[in-house]
Amino acid sequence: MRVPPRVASWLQVAPMALVFTTMVLIPLGIITVVSFLDYDFARVFPEIYLGSWTDALTSPLTLSLYLTVFKFLLITLAITFVVGFWLAYFLVFHVESTGWRMGLLAAAAIPFWTPGPIRMVSWVPLLGKEGLVNKALMNAGITEAPLDWLLYSEFSVILAYCNLLTLAMLGPITHSMAKIPRSLIQAAQDAGAREWQIVRDVVLPLCKPGIAIGAIFIITAVLGDFFMIKIMSGGQINTPANAIATELAAFQYPPAAAKSVMLLVIVVVLITGLLRVVDIRKELQR
Amino acid sequence: MQLKKAREIDETTHTGRPKIRQVTQGHRFDVELVRVTKSYNAKSKAVDDISLRIPRSSYCCLLGPSGCGKSTTLRMLAGHEEVTDGAILIQDTEITTLPPVDRGTSMMFQDYALFPHLSALDNVAFSLKVRKVSKAERDRQAREYLELVQMDHLANRLPNELSGGQQQRVALARSLITRPKVLLLDEPLSALDPFLRTRMRAELKRIQKELGITFVHVTHSQEEAMALSDIMVVMNDAKIMQAGPAREVFETPANAFVARFIGGHNVLMSEGREVSVRADACRIGAMPGMRGASGTVTMVEYKGPFVQVSMTSDTGDDLTATMTDAEYFAAAPQIGDTVAVSWDPKAEHVLS
Amino acid sequence: MMRTARGRPPSFYVLATLMIALLIFLYAPMLCVYILSFQGPDGGMSFPMTGWSTHWFEVLFAGTGGQGIGDVPNSFKRSIRLAACVSVLSTIIAVSAGMAYRRKFPGSNFVFYSAIASMVLPSIFIGFGIALTFNLLGWQVNWFTSGIGAQLTWSLPFGLLIMFIVLGRFNPAYEEAATDLGANSGQRFRMIILPIILPGVIGIFVSSITSSYEENARTQLNVGLGNTMPMEITGILTGASTPVLFAIGTLTSLAMFAIILGAVALMTVMARRRANRPDA
Repeated sequence: MRVPPRVASWLQVAPMALVFTTMVLIPLGIITVVSFLDYDFARVFPEIYLGSWTDALTSPLTLSLYLTVFKFLLITLAITFVVGFWLAYFLVFHVESTGWRMGLLAAAAIPFWTPGPIRMVSWVPLLGKEGLVNKALMNAGITEAPLDWLLYSEFSVILAYCNLLTLAMLGPITHSMAKIPRSLIQAAQDAGAREWQIVRDVVLPLCKPGIAIGAIFIITAVLGDFFMIKIMSGGQINTPANAIATELAAFQYPPAAAKSVMLLVIVVVLITGLLRVVDIRKELQR
Repeated sequence: MQLKKAREIDETTHTGRPKIRQVTQGHRFDVELVRVTKSYNAKSKAVDDISLRIPRSSYCCLLGPSGCGKSTTLRMLAGHEEVTDGAILIQDTEITTLPPVDRGTSMMFQDYALFPHLSALDNVAFSLKVRKVSKAERDRQAREYLELVQMDHLANRLPNELSGGQQQRVALARSLITRPKVLLLDEPLSALDPFLRTRMRAELKRIQKELGITFVHVTHSQEEAMALSDIMVVMNDAKIMQAGPAREVFETPANAFVARFIGGHNVLMSEGREVSVRADACRIGAMPGMRGASGTVTMVEYKGPFVQVSMTSDTGDDLTATMTDAEYFAAAPQIGDTVAVSWDPKAEHVLS
Repeated sequence: MMRTARGRPPSFYVLATLMIALLIFLYAPMLCVYILSFQGPDGGMSFPMTGWSTHWFEVLFAGTGGQGIGDVPNSFKRSIRLAACVSVLSTIIAVSAGMAYRRKFPGSNFVFYSAIASMVLPSIFIGFGIALTFNLLGWQVNWFTSGIGAQLTWSLPFGLLIMFIVLGRFNPAYEEAATDLGANSGQRFRMIILPIILPGVIGIFVSSITSSYEENARTQLNVGLGNTMPMEITGILTGASTPVLFAIGTLTSLAMFAIILGAVALMTVMARRRANRPDA
């Protein structure tokens, strides 16, 4: 018996479609519905109530939460892009041996084998009041008293994000850059372009897909994060994801749902914009 | 003489096309390689102590089997490969260690290396852009060169919207706009289908004559090399086997390798010496006053204007005779027949 | 830019320094954890070391000392059980789906964009959504249903992307040749495709184990009774402030290293076996 190819494909993809439908799409629908329902401290009533949405949309708190998270997002994107791009450039065009290139990438990936929460704790002995950095600064006579903004501050949040996400930018950009044929660089050299002109006019435009993929990872990670920011800011900084987590902990489902849908819309808009720059499937298959 | 020739060409080819002919006087050779060696490690040499002089305004083909060092030689000329030992001169100036852009060379890559994110026009204008030429001026010049390669009508297309032959023309224009003294072409025709290949071949020759600069063209096709070359350089095993005008190489091959590689020759032992005899100088049948051999026919190929008969001689050598179809059908030997082959002793060329 | 006889350009040294700085930035915190886990019994969470001991590992295993150590061994078991199920399921589902994408089929974009959505949507949203759905339908959340489901939403998209990379480089002529030689679809998969894509399949397996073991935001609302490792560690993290945290860090890192190195070793052996075949 021969199965038509299209049916074969359907059968092969069915388990995955089932998982995404039941675990992502249906919950998405249900959250949206619940965001319009009435509730009290214990349960949700099947009655339409727009309060969750009017609260979420009109509260000045919402705006300030989003301003905060976008500030972190932009700073993280800027730092990881600059560092990731130049290191990718270093790995692809300066490191001649593939062995060294793969070795350095692997070396950068190994610290991520240590589980996330542990990585958060690991900043304490470095950045804490009695940490190595403060001791070194005081021993060198640069500071007199320990700096308290090194940990549990905006600085430490950004530091942790960059620590976690630089590789998410470096990896895809390296992948894009490694695909640029050497003859293009040589042709640009023949044309008299200097190194910075080659970077600006040839390398950078051809790395756009990698940059877009890296940005997708970072947007997703920063906008969705409620755990790292809580630990690294010592619970002092709130973001929209934090607000959702707090309401969930208090079983306030409809307002949590409304805020979730709002966050989701914002993430989807940003990612859709980036997907215009890159065709992920094509990028991976080449 | 040179000047007069240049004017003639200008007059005959100029049909309203802007003047982009480049003629420079006062030097002897466009390219000079002096005992150039390239080795990657102590054992193997990609290019072994070669010397070569290419006169002004020549079309030079580097010909040889793959791995013979011809592409390495070209890349050393371009400055994309370091020279281990020896010197390279372009128009009497030593450029051995200069960066690519300061050599006066320009390379056309085998894969064309067009920037995929730039239009044909922007690709051609790239070298002017990095030199900060104004947009209007660089577009004007780029159009001029696109016109030279007959691609001005597709100036705004991206490379992946162009066919292979069109991409090649754009790549050519992009190389020429830097006004190189020497244009380097790395197997430029190998990616094209046979029909386009012949057309592009004519085009390359036309543009070379029109600009009056030297082209150095790497190829593994002896047909291509013979059709194009003013000077033909046959390489094998990291060394130059023979360099000279195509006709000279064909009529007087320096050694057995050259005779076999360029084709149309039999390599035989005659009176204790190794000689080459052109296949079209061989006749089927014993003839008085001629040298000869006998052999068994292994293949008969009908090629239209002529017929090629391949044989294995009694001494075990491969022999080929080409003849007009009239000559062939007069006797019409078949595969397996034993035949005599004869040639004029004067047709023998002694090999070193 | 590329190296020439004129030596390396200055940019090489600037960028090499940046590379080294990044590596220090990535390794320094980890090294602190590993070193401080051997802190002496009266030492604290910062340097200096008051001595070298395995005291904090003993505290961890004894589960004593009122450190909020809780239930680490059981949490570890739960996490491993979950990771085992999720990695096997992810591998099978992702490989199967990857095979589907070698052809064009109606609905391919739907599944692909669902996968992208599943990957990029905030984890807290997905976790909450699944829990809410179960809640409204009156089902109990349970590690075997909602727990595995929640984790699959995280591991499957990466599995599918890895399959795209692997199959995008797969020369379809191999399979066509096998078809011409009379292999049926099962034989083609078993004898031709699987051996060639095996490194990628192992890659999916390993990435699923690690992502399952690390995932928290989607899992925590859906795993039912009892903590998983990340939940347990987070709990300890907020409760305890002794080097016992570092002991957990060292041990869990070791477990992760063992899993990944094991998988890499397996891949190397397989690759070598393929390379050593006389006809290869």
